[in-house]
Amino acid sequence: MTPDPLDALRLWNVPIEPHPAFADALWQRITGGGEAVARSATVRYFVEDLDQAIAFCCDQLGFDEELHPSPTFAMLYRGDLRLLLSVPGEPHALPDGTLPEPGGWNRISLQVSNLNATVAALGASGVTFRRGVTAGVAVDTALLADPSGNPVELFEARAGYHERTTTKE
Amino acid sequence: MSTVSVRYIVDDVDAAIDFYCGQLGFEQQMHPDPAFATLTLGDLRLVLVSPVGPDHPGGGSRPMPDGTQQQPGGWNRIMLQVSDLEGTVEALRPSGVRFRNEIVTGIGTKQILVQDPAGNLVELFEPIRSEARLTT
Repeated sequence: MTPDPLDALRLWNVPIEPHPAFADALWQRITGGGEAVARSATVRYFVEDLDQAIAFCCDQLGFDEELHPSPTFAMLYRGDLRLLLSVPGEPHALPDGTLPEPGGWNRISLQVSNLNATVAALGASGVTFRRGVTAGVAVDTALLADPSGNPVELFEARAGYHERTTTKE
Repeated sequence: MSTVSVRYIVDDVDAAIDFYCGQLGFEQQMHPDPAFATLTLGDLRLVLVSPVGPDHPGGGSRPMPDGTQQQPGGWNRIMLQVSDLEGTVEALRPSGVRFRNEIVTGIGTKQILVQDPAGNLVELFEPIRSEARLTT
């Protein structure tokens, strides 16, 4: 049989082993569902004064307001970070009535390219720092407080800073 | 690239790694020091640290200048989207995962609070309207 000259141009037909996990992940991407793995990461912060918190995050930290549908809830974005701001209230109460409150030590950590300059600029505009620039192993950090007292960490990479270059699906 | 970083203070980094990787699907990225590990899930990089002394090289987990130690706990939290909240909760309960409340139906999501071994919260949510859904 004469070989078809177009064969040279055809792509290899690569057999693919069935891989249920991959198929599931692909299907979830297609349908927009997605188990815990989704492109954006979401964090909820509790704040006392929502308008003040929105202004702080947008004016000082570079967030954009996405939704602000009620006096007790707003959704902000900064890159792939979705930050939900909630005012403590009945919908967030535990079964025993305990209400959440701002504060604690767990925090979002925002990368900046010049930490000293950023800290100086924020300090000049009245932002409170729990701790100024502190040298670490792979990053320098500073820890600021939002108007409700929530911590936000700023970091600048040092030599040797490691980051995974691809996101595993 | 993980584009979002969150730091959680834990009392036992190894126990936290087991919990986040074993129960919630995180992957360990690095664990170069007993007091420090980074995990990833999608675009979220979770930095786990346990409180250290003022001379420890790990800057982020040192005490404040006034000596105040950082601690686990509080109410601010990461939120993980799941497609079937009831199913996820039923799957997690038998493995001993502690929940702070029962499933609550809010405006945009159904949600529940999981407690990690150090007492930090993780909110699992299932979107019930489109604005709340994270898409890939």
